[in-house]
Amino acid sequence: MTGRSLVRARALWLRVVALAVAVVAAAGPARAYDPATTHAGLTERSVLASGLHKVLARRLNRPLGLFEPLRLREADMDEREARSLRGRLGTLDPAGGYRPAADGVASALSWIVAGSVIAGTPAERGRNLFYDPARGTGLGNAGDGAAFGHAVRSLLDDGTFRALATGTDFNLTGLPATEWLASADNDVGLAAFSRELEAAVSEADPSARGSALARALLALGGTLAVLQDAGEPAHVRNDFTGAYLGGAGDNPFDRSSAFERYVADHYGRLGVPAAAPVVARPTVMAYITAADRQGLADRTQRRFFSQGTLPEDPIVDRETTAVEVMRDARGSLAYGLPRLPRLELRKMGERRYAFDGPRRLLAYERVPGRVRFFLDDAVYADTARVLLPEIAAYGAGLVDHLFRVELAISAKDGTVTVEAHGASGALDGRVRVYAEDARGRRTELGAGAVVVTDGAARVTVAAAPPSGTRRLAAVLRGRDAAGDLVAVSESPLP
Amino acid sequence: MALAIGCGPMVETAKFPVRPDSVRPADLLGPYDGIVLDADTDRPVAGATVAASWAFERGIGLQAPLAAREVVVESGVDGRYAIPRLTDVPGAELPAGASTRLRRFTLIVYRRGHVAWRSDRRFGQTGVSARRRDFSQRGNRVRLEKWQPGFHHAEHLVFLGGGDKVRAAAAWELQPAAMELGGQEEGEKVGGGEGEGASARHVAPLDIEKLLTDDEIRGVTGFVGKFEDGKLADLPTTEFYDSRHFKAVGKPEGYDVGLRVWRLGPAASEAQYRKLLEELPGAHSTDEMGDASLRARSGDINGLAFLVRERGVVASLTCGVSQCPESAQLLKLAKLVESRLPDLPPEPVPAAPPGTGAGEGGTP
Repeated sequence: MTGRSLVRARALWLRVVALAVAVVAAAGPARAYDPATTHAGLTERSVLASGLHKVLARRLNRPLGLFEPLRLREADMDEREARSLRGRLGTLDPAGGYRPAADGVASALSWIVAGSVIAGTPAERGRNLFYDPARGTGLGNAGDGAAFGHAVRSLLDDGTFRALATGTDFNLTGLPATEWLASADNDVGLAAFSRELEAAVSEADPSARGSALARALLALGGTLAVLQDAGEPAHVRNDFTGAYLGGAGDNPFDRSSAFERYVADHYGRLGVPAAAPVVARPTVMAYITAADRQGLADRTQRRFFSQGTLPEDPIVDRETTAVEVMRDARGSLAYGLPRLPRLELRKMGERRYAFDGPRRLLAYERVPGRVRFFLDDAVYADTARVLLPEIAAYGAGLVDHLFRVELAISAKDGTVTVEAHGASGALDGRVRVYAEDARGRRTELGAGAVVVTDGAARVTVAAAPPSGTRRLAAVLRGRDAAGDLVAVSESPLP
Repeated sequence: MALAIGCGPMVETAKFPVRPDSVRPADLLGPYDGIVLDADTDRPVAGATVAASWAFERGIGLQAPLAAREVVVESGVDGRYAIPRLTDVPGAELPAGASTRLRRFTLIVYRRGHVAWRSDRRFGQTGVSARRRDFSQRGNRVRLEKWQPGFHHAEHLVFLGGGDKVRAAAAWELQPAAMELGGQEEGEKVGGGEGEGASARHVAPLDIEKLLTDDEIRGVTGFVGKFEDGKLADLPTTEFYDSRHFKAVGKPEGYDVGLRVWRLGPAASEAQYRKLLEELPGAHSTDEMGDASLRARSGDINGLAFLVRERGVVASLTCGVSQCPESAQLLKLAKLVESRLPDLPPEPVPAAPPGTGAGEGGTP
């Protein structure tokens, strides 16, 4: 390269950096629940309000239930998965109590909480945690400029072109959270949960079963994290550009959400309120969205504003009437709900609030030439007070939903009978039965399809447990009116 | 190709002061120091586990954990602890990245028999804890409150958090915590239901009175004096723990005999045994009885602890050198205790299998 071309390249590079800095400087506060504190606390509240402790103790022979130590062995995973999990779990703060020990041991509860935290680790995974229930879409429509700006910021943050070159950069789009939840690419989603829960009973080796249960619980936590973000207004109002990139501060890389920080600082992990009465919904997806509009995303979207979906500031001059201001403000809304109530605009420079019942919906202030709409700590406080117990209640219901079917195993006269209880409507599926010997190793004894007789769903396997059998175990993979399911159970032989 | 924008992490402004009498924010990087005290007596608490952790996060807009560093020490005989500045911790280099920030510092103090202490929150018995406002970087005073029988281990473990060492120190709480979540608590009726064999059962505190008597001690050691029987005062009796203190009347401590028994179930008893092995002064494995056993010595007191896995029991017997001048005497007393373990009242079952008619009620 000649000296002149070097100078040209340097000048071009300086322009790129100058543009990047300008773009970066335009970045603003973001809104998302803090993984290490808020997501962790919500997960704990949900799990403690659910019946999972008894499920683990009774159906899965884990006497300490949520406090049962489980070891996740890297040898039980493929290398890529082990590397990914090791890296992400290694970032966790020990103070939270959910970072596995160096030997891969953590309690059942800790694995679930860890799963809800690493669902958004690294941060770019959060792109798939958005869902707009009004449109059925994920994150998108941010515009090329915003996407480019964020790519540049990420480039400067990461310090390499790797993400841009490999196409893994965050371009402000993502899968709908509902799709991501069920995606095979989501290592802490529903697919992983079902697969690993089945393996937690069907694996021959007891250590492998322990690893599989730990993986299933990680995936349960990841599943809860998706649901929890359906209770975050910006996540259900397609609001990345507005809420995340809308302001400016001293340090262009120091961008965090005022709402997130408010919730994290005021509640932390341990201050998250207890779950409201547990919510039961007919299907997994109905916990997020459904035709009855009672999914968490539905309820959050229509009741709360996010920073980027506030009304635009209407122009006010001497000729403007209050009716015109209201018309302009309402007309600028991206979503029909929540409705903007009547505003009090007579006094200049006075902060006022619009309410939805007793709850502050947004703040506004008449300033020279316009009305300014914004969210402040008082709005955040009311928002969090209402949303957090509700999110935890939906989470508890989802956990119970995923373990809704219970299997009762009995052996008599050379046959093993497995009865399924708790299914929603007609149950269809196949049950596999395993015998466990004194060393804890399991072998498949037989399998059969679920048959409904006398109103009871059962499977009878004509096989006597071999001598030395200490325990029987069963796995049901099937479907009921509430959707696909995996049910597991273990039972000691008398 | 790489760009060099920013090097070290941003360090957030601490939400606690540098000293108790200062309004100046602390330096999250440290160093930290303070003293651990018993809240009732104001006496220093030695041997408390003190865990310090720093949490780093990264991301523009969406943020996520990036790294964490942890330092664990024990409070000294004077109750004092010192945590070095993070940059002075060997091998704890700070993570880089333009959006990388040091987000939190958390201090956790745990001593068995006390309520855990966290720098960010206070233990709340309703499951939700209030924010702590008396933590400071230097000259911090950690006042440990005594554990009360009505407190819940499950809530306490969730509150506690912590890394490997903190969790190992609190491993004995796993079993009682599991039982609480299973709907069985001290003084609570479990069982019930209808049908053959169903009966209400009262979960009483563990009672080890039958494991060892005054006469049996005299028979082994030849002691001719009297014993005043009571309980050792360091831990309260629960359904998982009980103690006996055979205090020789009119004699110095070297004539006393003490017995502690934990019935925690297989997993937690294993952890408790390991804890004794790590913490008792001069502890070393001897494996002369039970599934595992150890000997320890502190001054004029000899100790022998053993684990019985099948029963999920750990027992620790101490005997002064004046009462038990020969090591075989202590072993004989311990074997006597081991032989009586089947006489302990039945263990409360953490969770009954479906169909037995037991324990549906009482979910917290």
